[in-house]
Amino acid sequence: MSRCTASTASSAPPVPITIHPVALFSILDHYLRRNDDQPRVIGTLLGTRSPDNTSIHVRSSFAVLHSENGEQVAVDMEYHRTMYELHSRVNRRRPSYSTGLNLNTCSALIQNFYSQETAPHQAIHVALSTGAERLPQIPRTAYSSPSPVRLQFQDAERSGLDLLTQTALSPNSTTAQPVTNITHLDTTLSTVAQMLDSVLAYVRQVLAGEAEGDKALGRYLMDTLGVGPISEKGGEDKAFNTSLQDTLMISYLANLVRSQAEVSSRLALVTS
Amino acid sequence: MAATSMAAALAASLPAPTAAPTPAAPTYEAIPASMSKVIDIEAELPLQVVQLDGLVVTKIIKHAREASAATVHGLLLGLDLDGTLEVSNSFALPHHVSDEDEKSAKSSARYQASMLRSLREVQADDSVVGFYQATTLGAFFNQNLVEIQAIHQDKLRHGGVVIVHDLSLTARGNASFRAFRLTSSFLDAYKKSNFSTSSLVNHRLTFSSILEEVPLQVRVNPLLASFLGSLTKSTPSLLPDATPETATFSVLPPSFSALDLGTTGLTKNLEQIIEAVDNYRTEEGNLAYMSRQIARERARADNYVAKRKEENLARVAQDLAPLPEEDVARLFKIPAEPSRLESMLLLGQIDSYGKSLESTASSAVINMFSAKASI
Repeated sequence: MSRCTASTASSAPPVPITIHPVALFSILDHYLRRNDDQPRVIGTLLGTRSPDNTSIHVRSSFAVLHSENGEQVAVDMEYHRTMYELHSRVNRRRPSYSTGLNLNTCSALIQNFYSQETAPHQAIHVALSTGAERLPQIPRTAYSSPSPVRLQFQDAERSGLDLLTQTALSPNSTTAQPVTNITHLDTTLSTVAQMLDSVLAYVRQVLAGEAEGDKALGRYLMDTLGVGPISEKGGEDKAFNTSLQDTLMISYLANLVRSQAEVSSRLALVTS
Repeated sequence: MAATSMAAALAASLPAPTAAPTPAAPTYEAIPASMSKVIDIEAELPLQVVQLDGLVVTKIIKHAREASAATVHGLLLGLDLDGTLEVSNSFALPHHVSDEDEKSAKSSARYQASMLRSLREVQADDSVVGFYQATTLGAFFNQNLVEIQAIHQDKLRHGGVVIVHDLSLTARGNASFRAFRLTSSFLDAYKKSNFSTSSLVNHRLTFSSILEEVPLQVRVNPLLASFLGSLTKSTPSLLPDATPETATFSVLPPSFSALDLGTTGLTKNLEQIIEAVDNYRTEEGNLAYMSRQIARERARADNYVAKRKEENLARVAQDLAPLPEEDVARLFKIPAEPSRLESMLLLGQIDSYGKSLESTASSAVINMFSAKASI
């Protein structure tokens, strides 16, 4: 079980932080690739701070080399600079701060390093607990205050996450690609059918008196199922038919275009 | 599988195998016996499947969403093992406006080199195995892609792959990734840079035989799987009077964007088809013009030769010395036969637009009937 906490090193009120999944995924990948004797990995977060300093968006992250023994922590500064420059060339948006992140425990020294980097703004520090090992948590409140963290992504990126969660559930943690639209639709529809089935089973149970009816649940069901458009019968059929004809027309057109393209490419091969 | 066993024998017989496919490990370790069958030094095992890491999936999608440019490129990093090409990391390439080609190419190369060096230092995979490109509505056929892939296929182990990500499909809820390579016949024609009609016939080339698809699978490592598992778990809300939407809290609630009845991308798709067809017509017009030009020049040359022969016959009859047969090619410049590559790629583009339109239409029909059934 992975857990994510963030903190800022100042007495100012905590700033809400939103993190793009890709930053977290990079951290996990880096953690997987660490040396065996490394208890944790650190890296830099890149992102933007809203002008009025009320929220922080973390958009990406990269790994940074470091070594620690006992009391000392060494961070490869030059490496950090190079990577920072490389990343800002692609992302264009110049990050207004960078941040330390580590796993399992926090480190005041690393936090100090990043505070210098991000001045005049305070650095945030994201700790991602991988749960792979059980280590005692150092009380963090001594030098930093926790900030609320949210995971944020665009709607269009949602399907990518869906794909990954599906993959995570499947055996071997792999899925074959590409999935056609129709297959995808099929999965979605069967999920809906399953949900309807479980609702139906519950309602039957309540009606038969086998289970105690939950009033709140009943209200939710009524709200959800009552939403459907209820209008006069004739108009609906007509709208449906025109829409169906349009769609069929488009499907016909698409096939026509494709076969024309095929014929044309064959004709190009004909020599006199 | 003769080649495979040979590679294995080779691996076993080498005293100090130059093992790693990546130059990442400077100290070469002996290949363990259990691995000698799957590590091929000479890249002889054929590539069977491309395996895409979850990290790469999200990186590509994020890059594609945020970039302002029409086409988005990046490099794929990873290694191949036993016929599986594992893509474990990727990074975006900066987008250049192509006015100062020389300069941008150089700085891009520098960028790649230092990025690879940096990634090697944190023990990420640093061997380039291909590149990715994000497009909309399945229109990935273009000269750019073919050119880059042709270079890669020459230089990289196994020739590398190109992974195509379709942005519009992803927005509709079906994240789509496909892996391609150039077919050998196309590569042959491309190397000779000969796309005349006869070459196309010889290589049996149509747009559908430019690229061959490589099976692709997505993989999630256990750590990521557990993280995603904790994200999708829903916890009941603490508020007693929560609405249905907020009654249970989950970071990733199930999404049903595939059931959306709206047909948003349809007009755009139709417009793109029209545009592609227009482009194709222009290109065909050019080709036709050029072939008419060739025919005219050739006819003039033939005419000239015939006339000269006739004249010579007449001169021979009059016992005069025949005029020399001049070099026709020097007198008449017959233009080279035009390349049909562009028109072929355009046809491929039209075809893929058509395909995407078709799949949209078919799922729209299903959606409509399911909506009707529920009323």
